[in-house]
Amino acid sequence: MKTWLDRLDRSSARVEALEERVRVLEHDLAELRRHNLRLAELTDVVEQLLVPMASRDDAAIAAAIEKFTKSL
Amino acid sequence: MVTSRDVVRRVDQDGILLAAAADKVVDVLVDERRVWSFWTLRDTETTPAGSLRLAPWPGPLQRFLDGRARITVRETVSRTVIFDERVSFGSGTGEIAIVGRKGEPLSLDKDGRLSATFDVRDAGHTGPLLDAIEEVLSLLHDLGVEAFPAYGTLLGAVREGQFLGHDSDADLGYVSTETTPVDVVRESFRLQREIEERGYDTHRYSGAAFKVDVVEGDGVVRGLDVFGGFFDSDRLYLMGEVGQRFEREWIFPLGTCTLAGRELPAPAAPQKLLEAMYGPGWRVPDPAFKFEKDPRTQERLNGWFRGTQVDLRRWDRLYSSRRHTLPRRQPSTLAVDAHRELPADVHVLDVGAGRGRDAWYLAREGRRVTAYDYLPHAATAVRDAAVRDGLPLDVRRLNFLELRSVLGEGARAARQPGPHAILAVHALDATYAPGRDGLMRFARMTLRGGGRLYANFWTGRKHDLSRVWPISLAEVEKLVRGHGGSIVHASESVVPRADSGERALGQVVAEWA
Repeated sequence: MKTWLDRLDRSSARVEALEERVRVLEHDLAELRRHNLRLAELTDVVEQLLVPMASRDDAAIAAAIEKFTKSL
Repeated sequence: MVTSRDVVRRVDQDGILLAAAADKVVDVLVDERRVWSFWTLRDTETTPAGSLRLAPWPGPLQRFLDGRARITVRETVSRTVIFDERVSFGSGTGEIAIVGRKGEPLSLDKDGRLSATFDVRDAGHTGPLLDAIEEVLSLLHDLGVEAFPAYGTLLGAVREGQFLGHDSDADLGYVSTETTPVDVVRESFRLQREIEERGYDTHRYSGAAFKVDVVEGDGVVRGLDVFGGFFDSDRLYLMGEVGQRFEREWIFPLGTCTLAGRELPAPAAPQKLLEAMYGPGWRVPDPAFKFEKDPRTQERLNGWFRGTQVDLRRWDRLYSSRRHTLPRRQPSTLAVDAHRELPADVHVLDVGAGRGRDAWYLAREGRRVTAYDYLPHAATAVRDAAVRDGLPLDVRRLNFLELRSVLGEGARAARQPGPHAILAVHALDATYAPGRDGLMRFARMTLRGGGRLYANFWTGRKHDLSRVWPISLAEVEKLVRGHGGSIVHASESVVPRADSGERALGQVVAEWA
């Protein structure tokens, strides 16, 4: 009887541990998915803002910022 | 006309009382014009009378119900009339007219919004929209994307050769040749920018969908939604509902469909895409159709593309009726205190400005101020009044949940000459962690050369708050330090409230110099 109860305890603890593991994995997966939008936004900023800024042409920088913020 | 009182028992101020054995979709007509459709079981409530069910008038229609009107209820599919009588509502004696400000007929569209739906519009009105559809399709083609009418617009074209009567906007879709969400988003950004450059107003919904505003012949502005999609190996994902196994040959090469007499591109097997969008019953008209969202598809689409418009609709509803009225409330204590403390030449960046009551106060005091909000049209009245009175007040869009917005506006503000300060009245508690990070990033960018952040927020102590995300004083202090700032002042006080006991208000002044 004791052995059977021990096994049940171990098995239920294992299910709980697996459930917790699935929760963590789902959380990590959601976090990874969110990187898509984040990375796309950063790439867009680099292409649209940082590249014109490297020119050090003040009017070009102001124009790039205006164009960029207007297009959002 | 056949009338059966056995089915609809009564129509009055409360709604439509009916006996329904099976779930059927019905149209409600006011003076022979459809204004609403509902399912007799799904969209109705049980009543004390047991077998009878009540379809309450939807909120947007209720305000019109004062006076007399001929009410007709008919089954959508068979067109059988099940009620047709003149009905009196409220104390009014005039004829009820469900029309907009300019007298244009309105009805409830598929999303339950009161709109100038297509069933009340003639060719003179839809012609400009068809022109715009063709123009945007051709533009997208030139930009390297093979787009086609999607969702309700595709359904209308394939099933009826027309716009759906109960629809109010036009949808376009495309399946990208890109294979990862990040590249699909970048492509969508590019497309929006190019379309904006051609003179259209655009609004982004998510990383893979945006709207193009088209002004029609009668001045009505109608949205044209552009949804992006892509193949992830053998699965098609199309914003905003589709995610399932799909053959490429069902999309490419594109075929054609006919919409209101015009030939437009269509997926190679449009019936397959319609089935993915509306289920196998897509051939049967259903003006009250509700999407049954697949949770796994939604999880993926949310993770990849969404998260930048949290609560936007709720704020929009809150502000939409009042945006042409100047705010009457007194300015916040924080704005008054900050104004007193700051030198006269400091430009105040009022973030999360809402209707702009503090910005309006500061501008009238002669201070230069920019009111930022992710719904800038909430401050329409303040902006117009400032222009009229020649006050130094600017209204701009800033979305803390959108990195591009924070970086773009941050760069713009940081380049403006003169000292700045940020006023954040209940902005930190109007958003959640990612939005708070956005606000701090904006502060870090704009205050690097000096200036202070003045912020207040409900801390969540003392009262259970609705519609806000309370944040503790300690959390805000940690947030500021985590973003490289230092705390000048931090306090918490209990504020008595007329309506709900008391609340604890946190206040922080921080700097980045």
